[in-house]
Amino acid sequence: MAEEKFTAIIVGAGPAGSTAAYLLAQEGLDVLLIERGETPGSKNMFGGRMYSYALNQVIPGFWEEAPLQRPVVKETVSFMSGKRSVSMTCQDQNWLQTPVHSFTLLRAEFDAWLANKAEEAGAMLACGIRVDDVLIESGRVTGVRAGEDEIHADVVIAADGANSLLTERAGLRKALLPGQVATGAKQLIELSADTISQRFQLEDKQGAAYLYVGSCSSGMQGGGFLYTNLDSISLGLVVNVADLQRNQYKINELLEDFKSQPQIAPLIAGGQVAEYSAHLVPEAGFNMRPELFGDGILVVGDAAGFVINLGYQVRGMDLAIASGAAAARTVMQARAGNDFSEQGLSQYPDFLKQNGVWDTMEAYRHTPLFLDTRRLYEAYPQVVTDLAADAFTVDGSPPEHLLGKMMRGVKSSSIKWSQLAGDAWKGGRSL
Amino acid sequence: MAGVWILADNRDRTLELLNVAAGLAEKLDTKVAAFLWNDSQLAEDYIAHGADEVLILPSLEEDQPLEAYIPTIVEEALRQDPDIFLVAATARGKEMAARIAGRLNTGLCSGCTALQFDETGKKLIMERLVFGGAAVQTVTCLTRPQMATIAPRTFAPAVPLGDRTGQVRELAAGLPGLVRIVDRKPKAKQSGDVSDAKVLICVGRGLEKEEDLALVRELANVLGGELACTRPIAEELHWLPEETYIGLSGQKVKPDIYIGVGISGQIQHVTGIRDARLICAINRDENAAIFEVSDYGIVGDLYSVLPELTREFKRALGAGKE
Amino acid sequence: MLRIITCFKWVIDQADIKTSPGSRELLLDRASYRISDYDRFAIEEAVSLQEQHGGSTAAITVGSPAARKSLKDVLSRGPEKAYFVNDPSFDTLEPSQTASILASAIRSQLEYDLIICGEGSGDLYAQQVGPRLAEALNIPMTTCVSKLTVYGTQIIAERKLDDGIEVVAIPLPALVTVLPEINTPRIPGLKDTLAASKKPVVDIKATDLGQSFEPCLQTITILASSMERNGVKFSADGADIRKFVEVILKTGNIS
Ligand SMILES: Cc1cc2nc3c(=O)[nH]c(=O)nc-3n(C[C@H](O)[C@H](O)[C@H](O)COP(=O)(O)OP(=O)(O)OC[C@H]3O[C@@H](n4cnc5c(N)ncnc54)[C@H](O)[C@@H]3O)c2cc1C
Ligand SMILES: Cc1cc2nc3c(=O)[nH]c(=O)nc-3n(C[C@H](O)[C@H](O)[C@H](O)COP(=O)(O)OP(=O)(O)OC[C@H]3O[C@@H](n4cnc5c(N)ncnc54)[C@H](O)[C@@H]3O)c2cc1C
Ligand SMILES: Nc1ncnc2c1ncn2[C@@H]1O[C@H](COP(=O)(O)O)[C@@H](O)[C@H]1O
Repeated sequence: MAEEKFTAIIVGAGPAGSTAAYLLAQEGLDVLLIERGETPGSKNMFGGRMYSYALNQVIPGFWEEAPLQRPVVKETVSFMSGKRSVSMTCQDQNWLQTPVHSFTLLRAEFDAWLANKAEEAGAMLACGIRVDDVLIESGRVTGVRAGEDEIHADVVIAADGANSLLTERAGLRKALLPGQVATGAKQLIELSADTISQRFQLEDKQGAAYLYVGSCSSGMQGGGFLYTNLDSISLGLVVNVADLQRNQYKINELLEDFKSQPQIAPLIAGGQVAEYSAHLVPEAGFNMRPELFGDGILVVGDAAGFVINLGYQVRGMDLAIASGAAAARTVMQARAGNDFSEQGLSQYPDFLKQNGVWDTMEAYRHTPLFLDTRRLYEAYPQVVTDLAADAFTVDGSPPEHLLGKMMRGVKSSSIKWSQLAGDAWKGGRSL
Repeated sequence: MAGVWILADNRDRTLELLNVAAGLAEKLDTKVAAFLWNDSQLAEDYIAHGADEVLILPSLEEDQPLEAYIPTIVEEALRQDPDIFLVAATARGKEMAARIAGRLNTGLCSGCTALQFDETGKKLIMERLVFGGAAVQTVTCLTRPQMATIAPRTFAPAVPLGDRTGQVRELAAGLPGLVRIVDRKPKAKQSGDVSDAKVLICVGRGLEKEEDLALVRELANVLGGELACTRPIAEELHWLPEETYIGLSGQKVKPDIYIGVGISGQIQHVTGIRDARLICAINRDENAAIFEVSDYGIVGDLYSVLPELTREFKRALGAGKE
Repeated sequence: MLRIITCFKWVIDQADIKTSPGSRELLLDRASYRISDYDRFAIEEAVSLQEQHGGSTAAITVGSPAARKSLKDVLSRGPEKAYFVNDPSFDTLEPSQTASILASAIRSQLEYDLIICGEGSGDLYAQQVGPRLAEALNIPMTTCVSKLTVYGTQIIAERKLDDGIEVVAIPLPALVTVLPEINTPRIPGLKDTLAASKKPVVDIKATDLGQSFEPCLQTITILASSMERNGVKFSADGADIRKFVEVILKTGNIS
């Protein structure tokens, strides 16, 4: 067989990689998409909801054909502290209008579908193959190695997710530290479609997203989430890895504990656990991003750290898709000028700026530092829930105005006024 | 003509099939015919156990495998038109049944685990395991004869019925086949047979090294049981003989008590212990699948659990005897 | 030159079999499919014999059009050509039909010296298709092969049977079904996968076979096999182990 060379090799058939492969194959480029799982998505997990805008730009009206679960019409955020919790719910039927705002989905079927789109467009898909290294010739990435096999390309796109081997091997970043990643754990709990609609007060086939902050993560940096699928519930926790190590908790134990909380237990009662999975979430934010491109290489999706992790809410699929699209445009431009050097790929940040990834990451630049404030997970949820409980508790003692209650609530907590002011300022800027 | 036919490699298997065949023949108001070769002495024995007719297959040339009987059996079936044909699901039996069914152009339920007779339709309703044991398929046969291979020990052997008479008929020899035996390596008889054991201690890959089998053996000794294992222990590590592994492709067992030690409980293994009266398991992973199919389990490291368990059993059993 | 055919089936991954809560009904719509585990040994045996003796290896499967996904996979494992006999009605075949369809397709389209099948398919595990196919093609065959050697126009096969090993000689053309212990299937690499997509696939439609294939067996139900057990768990501490022993002895299963 004659030595084969591709225009682009994309490593990882997650949303970022498959999007890039799809767009490049559509342009008729020789594209090879490599995935280590037996099928795309077979090992992938996430919380459960994707915002539509990014994919709608790549495949307009994708919801007509993609395997999706429920469009989300209801959002709830709960602060949890011991026996108390305070929730805020927002329901907006406008979210159903096209482009439908967001969908819950299951990765195994969604990722397989998107990779299949790329394959149909003409990309070559190789599953069950783990890439072990990048090939570097005089400082420039020229291909990849998987086992004994070396395959060359003009450009390699690292779409290999949170713990990206490729960016490390290509020298674009250092190994991740525990504090820079969170662990997510999730269970898929099966319940009938009707039970779900009734329990969450949803109209037929509409969905809800529930997010939890506070004692669901035993006071550690992180939070909980619950998403309704058609006939199952995605329930999980995201906790900072350094925190986990410090406290010697096991994430699966925390999750079992979370499931038994009175706010959660009735929602999942009678359900069957069908799957358990755990995955890393990059959480260092934009400040800690790797080099996004180098000679013959581009970095997309989680590999580039394009994730917004608010603890209780993780958002990355839309950014993965948008960055995959930006990378595809970069490659097409590099090909037009036949220059795949660092210089030739240097437009990548511009394309990221054009489709919003850059600005979004910029906007949340300070979030990781803010979220590192431990008060957020213990003291504040406690104050908020105490306050609310106080307001709703009638026990015959003389009434007090709300402001007085608030002042007292904060005073009796461990929070200092200066911290409160600082946190409010930081929070307002970074969330 | 009609009839319920049975074909099995040896006497034990034949008696098991005679047991079911007799019941079916009664319902169909027909006769039971059993095939026999090598040992015509057994003809009377089979008749005593319920056969109405024994069909003796002529002896084969030295280099001919049993499968060389297929043309003779097929010819006889075409002549006699049996209604039901049951074959013991041994390695040979399965091949012979499939080839006979192929030549007779009829349906075959492989590895039948239960059967019922539907009086109205005069047909067998047969169950078998599919998806590695995860599901049960129920089938009927649309053609005749209705054929099934039946796993060893699915039915109890027939008991002698006293004064019975029957016919013995010798079939004509067929032409030698193209498959010739060039060598035979009979298996040395193993001591202790897992398929008959009342108490089975079964080990899996949770065991770290071969020497550690001693720990398990000790428990087996105290309980008067045999050692069995999962496939990887026998096929990959060769710590125990091949005939001691249990499961879909190994032995199916029916002990009074099965204790699985360091076994994850994958369906291919679990299929083989489905009929155990009591299933117990020791595994350090509390989410191991084996616990889902166990009556009683201990979550813990086998290296600390086993010695203690052995001691406790010894104490309890010793006390009981006093 | 040895012309080998290897027969494989695209089956539901057992790990994906779910039952609907509260019933024994199987939920298979989200299950993924894979080349039957047993057939991987048949494919490997064909390919390694070809490597030793030259000649060719073709892989053949009968299935519904959805089984097309299996072709790239099988070709990445070494065979140089795949035959895909497909029809929407071919996803619920019983073994006698599968064997007849294979026989019909092979007779009309393929030349061969040796056909290698797996021990049994990963879903039905009927262990019938191989023997029935040999009968339909009227060629000699043997099952349970744990070692296979080709000498000119005959094969020597070691069969692993209940009572020991039987070594048989069979003239070609012949069919064998092989046991998992016969080899260790290699895992396809990136280049194998790339090469696979360039190999030819011959599409054979039901109508090309010019006959219909009636079933001999009728499936009435397929239900999850229930294994209801107590499911009581004890911890590993001394008191609990003692309790375990008591409970077990009380069941009266140890004498
Ligand atoms: C607990 C949790 C909850 C989340 N919740 C949400 C949510 O609700 N909404 C949301 O939008 N996002 C969420 N995210 C984030 C989202 O999952 C990711 O941002 C997104 O999947 C990133 O896509 P990607 O394509 O970059 O990477 P991935 O989806 O991780 O895909 C990487 C792919 O590369 C493959 N791969 C890796 N290494 C190799 C190799 N060496 N060779 C070959 N292939 C390789 C992997 O198998 C994988 O298929 C969540 C994440 C977690 C962990
Ligand atoms: C087509 C096919 C047919 C098969 N047929 C059979 C068959 O007939 N029979 C069969 O058995 N298998 C069969 N298998 C293999 C089967 O799928 C499993 O791979 C096998 O049963 C696993 O064996 P295991 O439980 O010993 O090992 P593992 O799956 O590796 O499990 C080991 C277990 O030991 C536990 N453990 C480890 N250390 C300790 C410790 N110190 N203390 C306590 N627990 C510990 C672990 O938690 C784990 O659960 C077949 C597979 C295929 C594909
Ligand atoms: N649909 C099929 N297409 C091709 N070969 C098959 C098919 N089904 C079964 N086989 C072959 O026949 C063997 C036995 O299958 P079974 O009789 O279903 O247990 C398998 O291991 C395959 O080699």
